[in-house]
This record gives sequence, structure tokens and C-alpha cells, in this order.
Amino acid sequence: MNKHFSVIVVGGGHAGCEAALASARLGADTLLVTLNISTIALMPCNPSIGGPGKGHLVREIGVLGGEMATCIDETCVQMKWLNTSKGPAVRSRRAQADKYLYRQRMIETLFKTPNLVLRQGHVTELIVENGIIKGIKLETGLIFTCEKIIVTSGTYLNAKIILGKSSWSGGPHNQSAATGLSDSLIKNGISIRRLQTATPPRVLDTSVSLDKLRELPGDVDSGGFTWEDRLRRYENQISCFLTFTDERSIEAVKRHLPNSPLVLENITDEGPKHCPSIDRKILKFPQMVTHQIFIEPEGWNSRELYLQGLTTAMPPVAQEDILSSVVGLENAVILRYGYAIEYDALSPGQFRKTMESRIVKGLYTAGQLNGTSGYEEAAAQGLIAGINAVLALKNKAPYWPSRTKSYIGVLVDDLSIWDRPEPYRITPGHAEFRLTLRDDSAERRLIEDGYNIGLVSQSRYEKILAWKNRIENEIIRMSDLSLLPKTENREMMQKLNTGDLKKRVSCVELLQRPGLSYNQLMGLLEENKELSNSDEVYSLETDIKYKGYAERENERIVQTQFLEKIRLPISFFDPKLEILSQETKLVLKSDKYDDLGQAVRKGSVSKTDLALILAVYGQKVQDYSLNGEEDVK
Amino acid sequence: MCKPKIDTIAAVSTAQGRAAISLIRVSGPKTFEILNRIFVKGGKKAFPLPYSAFFGKIVDPSTKQVIDEVIVTTFLSPHSYTGEDIAEIGAHGNPVVVGRIIQLLIKNGARAAEAGEFTKRAFLNGKMDLLEVEAISQLLSANTATQATMALNQLDGLPSKFVAEIREKILKHLVQLEASLNFPEDAIESIDEYQVGRELRKILNELYIFADNAKNGSLVSEGLKVALLGKPNSGKSSLMNCILGRDRAIVTDIPGTTRDTLEESILISSIPVKIIDTAGMRKPGDKVEAIGIERTLKAVEDAYAVIGVFDGSVVETEEDKLILENLKKLNKNIVLVCNKTDLPQKISREIFEGFKTVDLSCKEGTGLVDIFAVLTDIFKTDGIADFYEMVLLGAQQAAALDKAVCALERAVDGIGKNYQDMLAIDMEEAVRELGRVNGETVDMNTLDLIFERFCIGK
Ligand SMILES: Cc1cc2nc3c(=O)[nH]c(=O)nc-3n(C[C@H](O)[C@H](O)[C@H](O)COP(=O)(O)OP(=O)(O)OC[C@H]3O[C@@H](n4cnc5c(N)ncnc54)[C@H](O)[C@@H]3O)c2cc1C
Ligand SMILES: Nc1nc2c(ncn2[C@@H]2O[C@H](COP(=O)(O)OP(=O)(O)OP(=O)(O)O)[C@@H](O)[C@H]2O)c(=O)[nH]1
Ligand SMILES: [Mg+2]
Repeated sequence: MNKHFSVIVVGGGHAGCEAALASARLGADTLLVTLNISTIALMPCNPSIGGPGKGHLVREIGVLGGEMATCIDETCVQMKWLNTSKGPAVRSRRAQADKYLYRQRMIETLFKTPNLVLRQGHVTELIVENGIIKGIKLETGLIFTCEKIIVTSGTYLNAKIILGKSSWSGGPHNQSAATGLSDSLIKNGISIRRLQTATPPRVLDTSVSLDKLRELPGDVDSGGFTWEDRLRRYENQISCFLTFTDERSIEAVKRHLPNSPLVLENITDEGPKHCPSIDRKILKFPQMVTHQIFIEPEGWNSRELYLQGLTTAMPPVAQEDILSSVVGLENAVILRYGYAIEYDALSPGQFRKTMESRIVKGLYTAGQLNGTSGYEEAAAQGLIAGINAVLALKNKAPYWPSRTKSYIGVLVDDLSIWDRPEPYRITPGHAEFRLTLRDDSAERRLIEDGYNIGLVSQSRYEKILAWKNRIENEIIRMSDLSLLPKTENREMMQKLNTGDLKKRVSCVELLQRPGLSYNQLMGLLEENKELSNSDEVYSLETDIKYKGYAERENERIVQTQFLEKIRLPISFFDPKLEILSQETKLVLKSDKYDDLGQAVRKGSVSKTDLALILAVYGQKVQDYSLNGEEDVK
Repeated sequence: MCKPKIDTIAAVSTAQGRAAISLIRVSGPKTFEILNRIFVKGGKKAFPLPYSAFFGKIVDPSTKQVIDEVIVTTFLSPHSYTGEDIAEIGAHGNPVVVGRIIQLLIKNGARAAEAGEFTKRAFLNGKMDLLEVEAISQLLSANTATQATMALNQLDGLPSKFVAEIREKILKHLVQLEASLNFPEDAIESIDEYQVGRELRKILNELYIFADNAKNGSLVSEGLKVALLGKPNSGKSSLMNCILGRDRAIVTDIPGTTRDTLEESILISSIPVKIIDTAGMRKPGDKVEAIGIERTLKAVEDAYAVIGVFDGSVVETEEDKLILENLKKLNKNIVLVCNKTDLPQKISREIFEGFKTVDLSCKEGTGLVDIFAVLTDIFKTDGIADFYEMVLLGAQQAAALDKAVCALERAVDGIGKNYQDMLAIDMEEAVRELGRVNGETVDMNTLDLIFERFCIGK
């Protein structure tokens, strides 16, 4: 049996799957070692993928050639648009997953992929020589050697389950914890912190009175996450349901509060801010009575329902009491109790945007281990880690995703300098250029990257490129067309209630008026419509309507890119920079940040020094734009 | 190598050749060492003390010659404008004297400061943020007390506070809006767009006033241009001389004496005003006159106010009527002067109808007070007289303010029409740009311009 691989991926969660697939697909012989092959791609918490920010990540993973997008498109039980009424910059999809099908499909994909070998095993040691990674050792004593390692241990390292006053060593879903690897990381100079997260109880479907509750169906025509599924219709879907807490539930929670781990303080406080447990909500907002509880299916054939909003690690009796106080859940039978899990994650500032360790050469980390929370965040990092491990293997320049180009860029940029005492979760609020990073523009932003990296096949590239050009050419054509103030046109405009047509008006201007669509406009013009698919028309209309906004955003993008381009530590220390303060000089020469943008955002460069740096580099910016060079990323 | 130079610099810090007192500033580690060599102090106070004034004489140590009697004010590092030791020498405003003091300082170890170098040092020593640097750069070029007051307003942080408050208000709504956009299913009360729209309207109105104050600020800092317009021989040049109180323009009884526009500064009610004498309006007799008249028209176009000058001692001519026609069309402050009231009046008063008119005699000086009063009134009505409320913004700051206003206008216009993500983008832009007005965020465009002016890093 082969004992040497180019790339070894430790862990078969969402990060590990993407990392292993990317690595193997890019031609590296890859080994994926995970604690349990049957629980590869497990969703230990909510049965959904997507949402604002997260859905953007999934779209981008799809364009770059990752697996999550296709996998969820194929295995969802519901697909839904969110934020459609709030505008294109925040609109996104969210899917309810069939957890079982998702896993099954992912495992099949892994097995099918050439260059990829799967092994079940417990990795307890990293083999490192002179600060360079060499291989891994399993609990069984087995050793595998390699060039690059990607560790994606999720919530398993020294994991501890907490339920009321009880706690024991263990991973999600009653699996075992991974012991040993943390010590090995520490031994190699990597520091570790404790984080926690928790999950709500699952109940038996027939024990819930769904008929009393509000039904939340999906959208038949939302399309899927991957480009290929953009027009897919999901005729068959399962609904979610909504119920609320009331005084009785608050009362029940309060009664059991003394047994809440939050009160007992037998758990670290460093948990995800964005999904607090029900006990935390009530401790923090005691006057609030109504909290939403979403009841979500876990699959087509699953008998379990997930209770989004009732996350807790209070003891079983407490969970039973709370549930019986909620409309629709009065007789709910709990199949799996909610619990909290505490695990080892990396302390801040130890990996680059490429996911490579700053400490051990050839070591990459991704996913929950890096201090994020969520499947999509894990998958995105796994993809970037896999890509960069292989690029490094081939001695190629790394792929630095830019925050001006993708949510993935925002994620890795934020994450590599994230030092809050809580896991990181992506939202549109993290993205300052969210008009550019629109959900529908993912292909146009990233297809070139995907193709250049090598995860997008020639034929897929050509198809997407043709689609992209069709939209862009039509936008250009629209800018040359205009409507004459003929009587029929004016009457039509009147009828559509979009204002008068006193003189010749350009189509761009007309589309910017509220209420006028591309289809209507082309009808008035008696022009051929080059675009007929709804997604293409949507992109065209949004581009044109938001033109002014996009142009303003672009001015700032240029500035951010300038700062991103000054990589740290700087390769040439211009003597003019000697004027900077000692602190700033150290920052520029040290390997603490990946680029100047990060140092600035962290406040490590004073205003004065930044001003001076810009003055010193200022001339070069001009040269740069004169050359019209493309962004290196 | 470009190590930060820590030598001692000296320069005049009031505009040269104008004020009664000239301020010479010395900054750097050797400040007091140098002063001790050339300053003979009167009084008993020990020299130097922090924030103290010393009366004494500047004496050339080599010749023992007394150069001037001065007041020296001392500021000790780091509690000074530049963060270094500073001495400010208040000398008599005679350019020759000032020049000799500077020479003496240099001979004794100081270096002549480059333009903006004091401010640059202050900036480098972390003594001020970008807004203040802007203000200071205005102060540096300020040539009147009014302008200095405005620049000082800025340093007091009054406008900063105002802008910060407005920013907070917008931010409050933005945060809620963002919450609902980021977490659509979290039962966050979505914002009442129309309510937010109304509040943004209110904020806009406040910003309009602020922007006006800023506009006035820049108007005043450049000096308000007041052009004199009239037919030849009506007495424009005489009026200019009267207003200035000295014989600046050539006056003759030959029509067409003034051939080119002539500009002179003066304070009227503490407001800096540029009086512009022009070539008399008539059919040009030659090429030179034609060019002169062209310039007259340009001066009128650029002017903040125009004084129409008429000769009351003669019957009105076609030229007078034409001038009045033109004045009527101008959307500016207009005052008419009926000159030569010492002579028998032949002009028919009806032609002045609809205008503010001042009767005046340049020969006897009557009516001069009235013209000052009328101008002051105009300043007041325009909100220019009260320069304590005025704000001086640098070009970049003014641009940022403009952007913030535009963003808010877009936000308000879009209420009920646009999606809420647009509203968020507009509000975010307003908050960001207001931040730039205050210098709270570093922006390379702002910096580009500041560095252009202060030549840092060369
Ligand atoms: C109780 C609980 C609650 C959660 N709540 C939320 C939530 O509210 N919101 C949210 O967004 N996310 C939540 N999640 C997080 C979500 O499950 C993770 O973000 C996501 O699964 C992380 O993916 P990953 O690939 O990093 O790690 P995981 O999915 O955890 O996968 C890690 C993989 O590594 C393997 N592994 C670990 N160590 C070793 C080793 N030494 N040797 C071999 N294999 C190893 C494991 O077997 C596993 O296959 C929760 C998770 C849990 C367990
Ligand atoms: N009596 C009298 N003469 C005046 C008065 N003001 C000006 N004059 C005379 O009018 C003549 C023209 O005066 P200027 O001031 O040169 O007139 P102007 O409008 O500048 O003329 P141009 O430069 O030729 O356009 C001179 O002889 C002045 O002495 C006044 O108030 N009373
Ligand atoms: Mg004259």
C-alpha cells in the first residue's frame, strides 16, 4: 500500500471534502484520512445550506469548481430566495438539505475522483522536520508521508460534550473526539484556544402538530447554486414551519436556568454570537417573550425535525419542559437532545489568506479549526486550502482571493486577522463591496480564476464565457439604443406608468426608471431580444439600474486593491520608508499580515505612517494604472 | 537616507508685509539655545517657561545692535503646536526688521522652514489629525483675522462635533437597516422607510446650512469680489480710491482713463473684500480698450457683488441705460451709486428704480458711509458677516461633504422607489464621506492632495 502522498487531508467534514477534491482534481495524489468514513460530510447542526453571505459563498465555490454547490443542488428538499424584496445586493438562496443524501452524494463523489484515496483513521501526530511538514502518524501507528497537509478537524479536537451539569469527551453525533492531534500542533509551536457551539433538540415528525403552525414553503423557480442549475425548477419540495415561544416557554427556561451551562459556567463563553442558545437569549433579553422557532425537515425520508431557535445545552428534563410549552410542540418526542460542544481551535493570527500556516511550512488548516462556524465557511476555506496546497506543490504563485472580488476573499481576508473571542460567520455586512459581489455576478467575477486555477474544464469555461459575453454584449448594445418620442411609444410609456418621453431617451436611462423592464423596452423598440432567460435578463437589468452605484463602489475598490497589492513583509524596503515610526517599520518587515490592507484594517499602521507610505508608493500607483495591468490575484 | 531631520526651523508665520505685528516662529530642539543668544529679556521671569510671554529685545550678538523690541512666547515640548520646543517672536511688522531677525536666527543655528513645515512636524508628531492639517494649511495662507478665526473654529473642533453628531444619527438607522438585510429571518423589525426618509430630509437640511457656511467660508477666505461698473468718467476710479482711502487708481477727466481691471483688498466690517476697478463701458475706441472692456465683463461675471457707478451731473446716456439693462439681468448683489452729487443733478432718478441706490460724492466724501453700510447689509443677509459660524473646508473635505449630501439626496429620492439595499449603500456612503470631512478615515485621495501641499517624504 502506498504510504506517500503529495497532499494529505485530515478530516472529512465540509472543509476536508472540498480540500481533498480540489487537490485530487488538480492532479495531486491525495489521501483523505478521517475518523469515520460513514460520517463524511456530516451536517451535525442545521439541515440547511446558504442564506445571505453563506449563499454567496456557495455560488462562488460552484464557479471556482468546488463541490458543495452541485451537491446541495442535487440533494435539497427545499430551495428558497431570501431578501428578494430588499434588493439584488443582498438577495441570496438558501436550501434545506437532505442531510443523508448530501453525505451519500459527497462520499460517492470522493470515491469516484481519480487521484483520491480514502482511509478511516485517527490522526494523532504531525511529523514535522525543521519546521517543514513531512507526514502524519495515526493512532494505529501507521505513518503516511507527504509534501503538504491540510488539517480540517472541525469540532473534534479534544471535543467535550456538555449537557446541563454533565460533560464527557466526545464529538458530534455521539462520535468520539480526536485526541492527540492538538498536542502535536502545540508541540510544533501552534497555539490553541477553546471555542464552543451548540445544537437544538431533534423531534419525531409525527409528534408535532404541524397543522397548527404557519407553513413556509420554498420557491419553485429559485434555481440552484451552480451555474448549470441556474434555471432548474424544484417542483417537489418540503416545507418548513414556524412557531413561537410565549410566556410559558420563557417561564420554563427561567425555571431551569440554574442548570444551564451558561449559569453553571462549565463551558467556555467563546461561542457563536449569531446563534445564541435559548437560555442565552432569555438571559440577555429578559423582557422579550416571543422568539421564533423554525421547524425544519432533515431529509425526504428522515423522521427527524430540527428546531431552529431552540439551541440549548440545558439538561434533558429542561428541554422536555421547554418544548411542551411551545404551540405545536406540546407532545413533541425528542429523538436527540440538544447539546453543546467545546473544542480546540487555532488561536488567532496563525495562518495566511492562502490557509497556509505561518508557523509550519507545508501545513494548511481550514474550517471550524480556523475559528469559523458553518458548513459554507468551512467548504470555502477547504477549497482555497486545497488549491493553494497544490499550487505550492507545483511551485506556482498562490491564489490570493481578493475581498474586492468575492465573498471567499472577504472570508479569508477577515479570518486570517480575526481575533475576537467568538467564531467567525460570513454575512453581507462583512463585505464592503456587496453590489459588486452580488449573488448573480459570481460567474462573471470568478470564472477566469476558476479556469486559470484548473478546476473548471475547458468546455464548462467556454459555456460560461459565452453566457457571460451574451449578457455583457447586450448591455453594450443597450447603451447605444434609444427610444424616439413617437406617439405609440409615448402612449405605451403612459400605460406602463414610467413617465413621459419628451425627447429621444437612451435605453440605459429608460431602464433606470422604475417599472420598465428589458422585455417591455425591447418590445417598444421592436428590437431582437438577445437575452431570453430570466437569469440573464435579471443580470442585465440589475447592472444597468445600479450602474451609478457600481461606479461609485468601483472607486473604492481600486483603493482597496492598491493596499492589498502591497504584500507583507515588503520585499523591497524603500529607504524613503525610514521616516516611518519604529512600530510601523516592524509591521512592514514582519510576517504578521499578508498585505498592507490587513495591517491598516487592524490599526497596526498609524494614520501618519499610512499617509507617508502612500506618499512613497503614490507614484507607483500611477505607473500601475498607466500600464493597465490586471490585478495579480 | 531620509531620516526625520530634527533640526530647528524658523519662519515668519504671519503673511508678510501686512500686519502691524509679524510673528516669527522657531521650532526644534535648539529653539531656546538660539533664542538665548539673540534675545535679551526684560523682567524677572525665568526663560523659558511653558506658555509664557517675555518682553525684551532682539540684539545681534556680534554687533550688539538692537534690532527690535519684541514679545517672545514660549511653548515647551511636547505641549506645543509641533510637539517640539517652540518660541514665537512677535516683532514689529516691518519687512526689513523681520528679515533681519530671520537672518539672525539662521546665523545662530536655525534653518529657514519650508512652506508647511511646521504643520508637517505637527502631523508627524501626532499633534493633529487630517482635518486639522487642512485647517492649518488654510491658516497658513490666511491673510486676515477673519480667515484665521475660521481656521481656528475648525481647530476648536466645532464643525467636527457637528459632523460627528450627524454621522451618528445616520448610523443609528443604518445599523437597523443592516441588521434586517443581513439577517432576513431573524424577526428584526424592518425599518420604516418613510420615517427614515423624513429624518434624512431633516439631516440634509442641516447639512445644507453647514455646506453654505463652508461655501461662505471659502468665499470669504478668498476675499469677496466687488466690481465697479459704469460708463467712462462716471467716477469708478475715484470711488475705488475713496473706498481704499488712498490714491490707488489714476483719475483724470479724460473718459477711458482706466484701461485694465485693477484689484485691491480691504476689510469692510472685518470681511476681506477685493474692490475691482474696471475700464468704463462704451463702444471701444481701440484694441487696448476693447480688451479692457472684455476684462470688465469677466470681472463682473466673477464678482460676488457689483456696484454700478453713474454720473449724476449729466443727463443719462444710452451707455448708462445699457449698463442698467445688463445689471438687471445679473443674478448678483447689485448696488447703484449716483456720483458727483456735489454738482447740479441732471440725471433722471427713475432709471434707478428697483435698485438699492446710494447718493455719493467722491469729491467731498459724502455718502461713503452709506456705501459701506449697504455692503455690510448685503454680507449680513448672505450670512457672511458672522464668520464665527463659518467653516473652512479643504478642497477634498468639501468634495466629501458634497458626496455625503448627494448620497443622502439619492437616499431620500429613492424612498419608496428603490430597494432597501440601495438605501443602505447610500447611507453608508454618507456616513463614510462625513467621516472624511472629519478626517476620521484615511483616504488616499485626501492624502494625495495634502501631500502635494506639504511635500512630505521627499
Ligand atoms: C453541536 C454543533 C453545533 C453546531 N452549531 C452550528 C451553528 O449553530 N451554526 C453553524 O453555522 N454551524 C454550527 N455547527 C458547525 C458546523 O457543523 C461546522 O461549522 C462545520 O461542520 C465545520 O466543518 P469542518 O469541515 O470544519 O469540520 P467538521 O464538519 O466538524 O468535520 C471535521 C472532520 O474531521 C475529522 N477529524 C477530526 N479530527 C480528526 C483526526 N485527528 N483524525 C482524523 N479525522 C479527524 C472528523 O471525523 C470530521 O469528519 C455546529 C456543529 C456542532 C457539532
Ligand atoms: N465734481 C466731482 N467730480 C468727480 C467726482 N468723482 C469723480 N469726479 C471727476 O470725474 C472725472 C472722472 O473720474 P474717474 O474716477 O477717472 O472716472 P472713471 O469712471 O474711472 O473713468 P474711466 O476710467 O475713464 O472709465 C475726474 O475728473 C474726477 O475728478 C465727484 O464726486 N464730484
Ligand atoms: Mg477709471
